[in-house]
Amino acid sequence: MTEFTVNGQPVRYSGEGRTHLADFLREEMGLTATHIGCEQGVCGACTLVKDGKPVRSCITYAAACEGAKIRTLEDYRDDALMARIRAAFKEHHGLQCGFCTPGMLATAYDIATRLPEADEARIREELAGNLCRCTGYMGIVAAIKAVLAEGPHVAPEPPARDAVIASARFGAAEAPEVVAEAAAAPVVAERPAPLTDGHRLERVARIDLPAESVWAVLSDIRQVAACMPGASVESVEGERVTGAMAAKIGPITARFGGTAFVTYEPAEMRGAVAGQGGDGSSRSTARGEVHFALAPSGDAGCDLTCEILYKLSGPLAQVGRPAIVAGVVDRLLADFTANVEAAARGEAPTASAPPGFARLILAALRNMVGRST
Amino acid sequence: MKPGRFDLVLAGSCGEAVSLLGGREEAKPVAGSQSLGPMLNLRLARPAVLVDLSACAELRGVTEEADSVLYGAALTHAEFEDGGLVDATPGWLPQIARRIAYRAVRNRGTVGGSLAHADPAADWVVTLRALGASVLLAGPEGARELALGDFFTGALATALRPGEIICAVRVPRRGAGARWGYWKFCRKLGEFAKASAAVLADPERGEFAVVAGAIERAPVALPEAQALIEGRADPRVVVEEALPFLPPERRALQATATARAIAALREGESE
Repeated sequence: MTEFTVNGQPVRYSGEGRTHLADFLREEMGLTATHIGCEQGVCGACTLVKDGKPVRSCITYAAACEGAKIRTLEDYRDDALMARIRAAFKEHHGLQCGFCTPGMLATAYDIATRLPEADEARIREELAGNLCRCTGYMGIVAAIKAVLAEGPHVAPEPPARDAVIASARFGAAEAPEVVAEAAAAPVVAERPAPLTDGHRLERVARIDLPAESVWAVLSDIRQVAACMPGASVESVEGERVTGAMAAKIGPITARFGGTAFVTYEPAEMRGAVAGQGGDGSSRSTARGEVHFALAPSGDAGCDLTCEILYKLSGPLAQVGRPAIVAGVVDRLLADFTANVEAAARGEAPTASAPPGFARLILAALRNMVGRST
Repeated sequence: MKPGRFDLVLAGSCGEAVSLLGGREEAKPVAGSQSLGPMLNLRLARPAVLVDLSACAELRGVTEEADSVLYGAALTHAEFEDGGLVDATPGWLPQIARRIAYRAVRNRGTVGGSLAHADPAADWVVTLRALGASVLLAGPEGARELALGDFFTGALATALRPGEIICAVRVPRRGAGARWGYWKFCRKLGEFAKASAAVLADPERGEFAVVAGAIERAPVALPEAQALIEGRADPRVVVEEALPFLPPERRALQATATARAIAALREGESE
């Protein structure tokens, strides 16, 4: 049970933890002046006032608002300053289609009360977190400038704070009930067309074993999967493999289920894997190709060259910056080649846990320290 | 998109938070939810339980010490920006805070949350590393303190153990003789940096640091910091040697960010 006030009215919320404040206000309270755009804290459309300060209500959960004073645009109906801002938006043509306007008004009110001396550059800086798809920024900036010129306007009271950090205490509390969620992934049965617009990575790993014994591992798809951290094979039919791949990056966990097509050129000791899959939970999809080749190198050793092409789409693509993915791939390949080497020696590969980042980075740092002394 | 199901429980104190988390992988601490929130909404992160720390009074205070200032982990970026807090530095913390994301995000996002999330491009991650800060942690096995150089282990990765939370950030005091510069490249104001560099020169303490950020790994303290700051070493050469894993165009950007951060530090000297 969470208790807070909305526009001065007491509210007792006992719904789900995942309901964000904007949804609660619109769906449960019928307060539809708060608009929802991106639902990931980027566009600013849902900006409203919590405890006297503008916040994004799409990444503020209703259950986390204990004791808060929420004010939506509806509550500013009789507010003299907001009336002036509204009039200025109308005079200076800052309204356009109106979708971003509630967030713009909340931000404009904050600028007017907190930054009485703001010039145009500062106004634009403060507005950077509110997107207007009509690109009506000229009018919006002009409206706020006009309101500021009539200032100063009264600022809201800053919240009181505690002065000392106590030492941490270790009590025992009852564990809350855990809600588990099953993830289902779509399986693709079509052979994918060659990737032409993906990110490309090339990596070479040296293995201290004859190429023939490494090839014996690489030419067995189940062994390959056993060597790949996070990978699991469900079925192999000819060159078609169905399975899953799990990855963990900080708080992000993804499990891609899908299909890959594996082709080998044994005479050349080359091969390719082309696959695509989906993460049912985040509705992200991934397509990828790996072209691998083994070549003898030096005394009784070989080089495993991998050219990787991949393309992410959906939510994961928005946070999967190419450099981060490259880091994951580096770690995967390092573990993979170590496991292939172990398998070629007849040893069992180490457990295939989803790759995390920590070991990757430590390894990278060690490399750097080694190089920079 | 809407998040998957999770239970959200409010902790009233550090101790309660630690016991609510119970050292479980599927439980995550959260304060402002400005970094985790988008990932939850996109269903990229799917914890079963969120333990909200933002109401813990003991995480919202400031304690002055002889050589440092202890900042509660749940203090928001906006609280630093507004200059209402005791500053361990000669006025640098509000400048750093003001350039984080947007005001509506700064009103909820917290310094501890930013460090725990460990995005390589985050401002506190790079700047507090350069300022020699450390984090005070509390967990099932008790309390400990880690320098940020040991705390960040990679992109979005830290030395936090399951069930452990950041209680406070210890920032060493810097005297009037200390100098500072920070430079970041953003395609759009408030977006995550494509390259960033933070530099510190504190001759009184004999501390010099040049930190490379937004490199999609843990921030890296470059070698020859004092020589770089004094103009006796070339940022291009040092970046080239210290960050071989970056693509060439990204290294060029990093070298420029480093040179500009150093220039900003020197401008501070002439004021």
